[in-house]
Amino acid sequence: MTKKSKIIIAGVGGQGVVFLTEILVDAAIRAGINAATSEIHGLSQRGGSVVAGVTFGENTFGFVENAAADFLLGLELLEAQRALNYLHCNSIAIVDNTKILPHSVNAKKGVYPDTEKFISYLKKNIKGTIFIEEEFLGLTPVMRNLVVLGKAASVKSFPVKSKFIEEAIKNNTRGDAEKSLKVFREALNSVNKIKAV
Amino acid sequence: MQKQTIDILTSFSKAQKRCVMGNVAVARGAIEAGVNGVFSYPGTPSTEISEVFNFVNDFQSKKDFQKKYPKQTEHKIYFEYSINEKIALEKAIAYSIGNKSAMCVMKNVGMNVASDALMSVTYQTIIAPLVIVLCDDPGCFSSSNEQDSRYWGKFASVPMFNPASPEDALLMTKTAFSLSAQLRLPVIVRMTTRVDHSRGVISYGNFDPKETIAHFDRLPQHINIPARTATAHKTLLDKLDSELFVILNKKFNTVFPSVKTGKEQMGIIASGVSLVYAQELLSRNSETKNISVLKVGVIHPFPEKDILTFLKKGIKRVLILEELDPLLENDVRVIIQKNKIDCEVIGKGYSGLNVTGEYTLDIIRNVLEKFTSYSLCKKENQPLPDVDKLLASLPPRPPTLCAGCPHRATFYALKLAVPRENGNIILCGDIGCSGLGALPPIQMIDTINHMGMSVSMAQGLSEAMHLKPEQGKVIAMLGDGTFFHSGVASLINAIYTRANITVIIFDNRTIGMTGHQDHPGATQHSKYQQIDIYSLVKGLGVECVETMMPFNLKDTYEKVKNAINHIGVSVLIARAPCIFLPEFKDGALVRKSLHVDQSKCNTCFNHCDVSISCSKEYSGKESLDRARAKVVAKVQVYAQEQLCPANICNHGFFNSILSKNYKSALEIVRDKMLFAAVCGDVCHKPCESLFRTENGKSVPIKKLKNFVSNIEDNFNDFSKQISRAKVSNKKNKKIAVIGSGPAGLSSAYDLVQAGYDVTVFEKNASAGGMIRFVIPDFRMNKNNMDKEMNVLKEMGVRFKFNSILGKNITIEKLSSDYDAVILAIGMWDSATLEIVEKNVSIGKKFDAINFLRSYNEKNLKIKSGSTIFIVGGGNSAMDAARAAKKFNKKNNVIVSCIEKTDSMPAFVQEVEEAKREGIRIIDGCFADLIVEKKNKISISLKSFDKKKYLETIKADYIITAIGQRGDASALNEKLSLDTNFRVKSASKYKNVFFAGDIASGNHISLIGAIGSGKKAAVNARKLLEGYKFEYEGEFALDKLSNSENGNKNILKKFETIDFEIENVHDFNLYQPCAKCDHCIENFGCPAMVKVNGKIIIDDKRCTRCGLCIDVCPNGAIDWV
Repeated sequence: MTKKSKIIIAGVGGQGVVFLTEILVDAAIRAGINAATSEIHGLSQRGGSVVAGVTFGENTFGFVENAAADFLLGLELLEAQRALNYLHCNSIAIVDNTKILPHSVNAKKGVYPDTEKFISYLKKNIKGTIFIEEEFLGLTPVMRNLVVLGKAASVKSFPVKSKFIEEAIKNNTRGDAEKSLKVFREALNSVNKIKAV
Repeated sequence: MQKQTIDILTSFSKAQKRCVMGNVAVARGAIEAGVNGVFSYPGTPSTEISEVFNFVNDFQSKKDFQKKYPKQTEHKIYFEYSINEKIALEKAIAYSIGNKSAMCVMKNVGMNVASDALMSVTYQTIIAPLVIVLCDDPGCFSSSNEQDSRYWGKFASVPMFNPASPEDALLMTKTAFSLSAQLRLPVIVRMTTRVDHSRGVISYGNFDPKETIAHFDRLPQHINIPARTATAHKTLLDKLDSELFVILNKKFNTVFPSVKTGKEQMGIIASGVSLVYAQELLSRNSETKNISVLKVGVIHPFPEKDILTFLKKGIKRVLILEELDPLLENDVRVIIQKNKIDCEVIGKGYSGLNVTGEYTLDIIRNVLEKFTSYSLCKKENQPLPDVDKLLASLPPRPPTLCAGCPHRATFYALKLAVPRENGNIILCGDIGCSGLGALPPIQMIDTINHMGMSVSMAQGLSEAMHLKPEQGKVIAMLGDGTFFHSGVASLINAIYTRANITVIIFDNRTIGMTGHQDHPGATQHSKYQQIDIYSLVKGLGVECVETMMPFNLKDTYEKVKNAINHIGVSVLIARAPCIFLPEFKDGALVRKSLHVDQSKCNTCFNHCDVSISCSKEYSGKESLDRARAKVVAKVQVYAQEQLCPANICNHGFFNSILSKNYKSALEIVRDKMLFAAVCGDVCHKPCESLFRTENGKSVPIKKLKNFVSNIEDNFNDFSKQISRAKVSNKKNKKIAVIGSGPAGLSSAYDLVQAGYDVTVFEKNASAGGMIRFVIPDFRMNKNNMDKEMNVLKEMGVRFKFNSILGKNITIEKLSSDYDAVILAIGMWDSATLEIVEKNVSIGKKFDAINFLRSYNEKNLKIKSGSTIFIVGGGNSAMDAARAAKKFNKKNNVIVSCIEKTDSMPAFVQEVEEAKREGIRIIDGCFADLIVEKKNKISISLKSFDKKKYLETIKADYIITAIGQRGDASALNEKLSLDTNFRVKSASKYKNVFFAGDIASGNHISLIGAIGSGKKAAVNARKLLEGYKFEYEGEFALDKLSNSENGNKNILKKFETIDFEIENVHDFNLYQPCAKCDHCIENFGCPAMVKVNGKIIIDDKRCTRCGLCIDVCPNGAIDWV
């Protein structure tokens, strides 16, 4: 029986949160792991917050409760913070350095949280933090999600092995599979620097 | 998509594992059941079910695919997005009666529209199976209510399944078809958002559809007449008593764990997603195996027997888990009471089990831990510290209209066209993307109800309020999809009842919110016929119908205005494609990027130095006034082009007047200089050469200044200036200002506000210099001047009168006693004419300055009815001439000058004024000979080229007004002087600054003197405090000094116009004040991001619609 594991993916509508969940469950099936997801959409396309859960193992159904996510894939800094309630002290967070300011911040009705404070909070309180600061020249913002997935897959305890994710990316029906694969691989194998694609 | 479609249409003899969304599982279930036709209306969370069939339909209708995939295209499935749920259900019923199996898909509230069809067909009959899928939305993620659709089962007496997972969804949908076929009754599959949108691994089964033959049987049940309904009701109830349910219930109402321990005392009855939560949670702790769980999959007819059997196992406490209303719970309580079972029922109200909202894993865990007393989570995984506090501090991210959304464009035009302040116009919105216009920053919606209500709301409100045309209008706003869904019927009612409303159809060529489905007004399929909204509305008899392109802001603005002014029903169709449609993308790709000029964005050109106060507070209303002015105006003058040498913000000034804030207008002048009233009287208004309308009419800035200065209460209130000087950051440095003319006093005014200790030395006994002594009082209000000057004392400026440079004060001592000295001693030395000096006796000759001074001091002695001859064509010549005329109307005043009239140095308006007053001007001449005989001065005039004798004038007095000269001799040092003895280069003292007329190059005018005084103050500050900004009025001052802008030829082009303050709006001139934030506050495009106070456009998010170019009041945005 596979070890149970849960992932939270957080971002802004249009960043490809749902796409990542699809890739992950497809990869899990290829690996023979039971997987499920849960998400909110509808309004997500209109630039709102999106959070999706992916769960692996028997008797899990895609739902993630508070302090139950083993991984956080944060595609946007503010949304990553909004998902903090799902994390626990042994979680691993992979957070991309992408900021999308909501209107409330532009209109000075809210303050965008400080990145440094957030990252040091994560480093202090959870088991592992990967903060992706590398620029990916020439990469459309929609593909940043694959960078995050690649970095996540490089973590040893990640529930799905990278070769299954690669297979899933190869077979996905949205966008340019070849380019997606290249981005994923580069992120997966990068220690620090990510080159332009 | 094609790959997925093939997959979903492919039959698997052996079960194949797929990870799919609940909605896709429903679709696959229907396909496995051999569905023939699917009818739906899009609506979250149900849409993905319909979308599968939309793709299937597309796929199967393509010839290539029919060849390549014969198996997948053989069994054709008809699909349509009907115009609303009622029609979808009616058509599905009819389809079934034609012996074709049908499915009808909608969201929870859809059934409210469709229920008429459901409630009667159950009394009649269907033929082929009919399955209705209803998708509930506990928590209202995307619905206007969280109604519990399980009631429809009871209400309409139809069987209902309630899947808990994608796996259930497939099986139950498939089963629903066979049940429906056997009972000849519609069957409902009731989903919830969580089940619709969660993905799970399920097994695709086999399917082998048999083609059914369409036919219609003339059955008596097809005619619904009251005589038959009573028996029909009984027949219906009998159907629900069918033996079939025994088998079904066994399959779907299951108990786990299947192994009995014999110790079960606690039971759980659960339905829907709560069951899955319970299953996951209980699996975490093996001690829970003596808790028995009954899953209720068939919820109507209520499985009474299953529940009874379950409870009779000896369960003493039963927990009911169901979202929304306590349907199961109440039925369980009835069974327990009827059967006298000793069992405690725990349901709504227990722990977090509420009727409202969606249940989560957390809620159910808390409930189960309390109910079972077992721990159901991993102890080692501790939550993070202070998470609640952290989350509460995060700014929210509500959904917004996309970057480039045509709805935003329409709303923006509406915002400008519809004055919201008076509240007379009510905006009724509707369901869909256009409803996002209710959120900040657009906020252009007052009501949103259910789908299609906007048009009815508008006509009902209009009727109720009996609005007269001038009182405003009620506007209905709805999307194109919503219009066809139900808005059109309401529009017909509005036309029929002669309602006075405007309907705006936001026609973005698709049903946007649910993911871009077709509707009759915009279809991508050739199999459908497109209905043109314009022709439809026109055909209904609406006279005032306009189609507008929302990105054409001006056109949209004007059409909105016209439509609102129209009495009766007017309809506007705002037509531009949704950004997700290919039409939009094709258009956007060819366009360049947008760029914000940071030097123009949100910058006040008067305020490089933010420590300088601005009286202009940000106001949303004023920002709209400005944006509106920009749309309407034919001429646009941007802030950076405003030309006041004293750096007065004419934009802010004019905008304040536009919004009737006259006090603020006055304060804006006083932000920069003291002399609002003086300038209002005597400024030669170089700024007006730029502030002109399309017809060349200049905006009467000077008159407006005069107007605001004459509002006495406002004028007398200098509290702001006094308090600014008081609270200024004290520099503890002393500055001496020599000369109290406009230049010196302007320096003093700025410096005292900057925190300096300022002392003004003046040779006369009162302050004012030329403006006090020389400008005649018929040209200005000296009372107001006195008030303005006196304020300096209150602001803390010290005055030392009768201080004469070179006598009781010296520059040497002042420059050492003070940290800086501003020298603004003016030009009091009059140039003389030898011919006058030689030939005219004292008492009959004057220089202009002395003449005017005597006039002003009321000690002028000249005989009445004299002839006064003035030599010179400058401003003092005009002043002297007019003073001479004013002194006694009988006086005959003649001015002679060497220039032609159109090139006289005097300001045009002064010359015009003089002429009007009856002063004769002889231009292009000079006095060739002057002889004094018998108390008369005889002056012989020759043309300037000396060729022609003109005439001889007999005058009593002669005034020389040929200009002034500087006199810096009192400085006792060698200075570089120009031909008029004005100081060209600075003195040996590094801390002495020259200002006003004495400094060479300065424009000799009031505003020139003020500007140079301000500039000298800036230079002093640079020396004393390391002030790093240049004088912000430098550009205008420089232009003025170089006579470009002081040039009367420019002024000549503009007629002086008479105007009343009420008509200020007639100047269709756009005057942006750069203190802005307009785009953020009113437009809110998500691609616009504010960084360090400036807007930048996120190129990655920008869709290149380009509307922001028109929106930006500062003209900062353009294509690159």
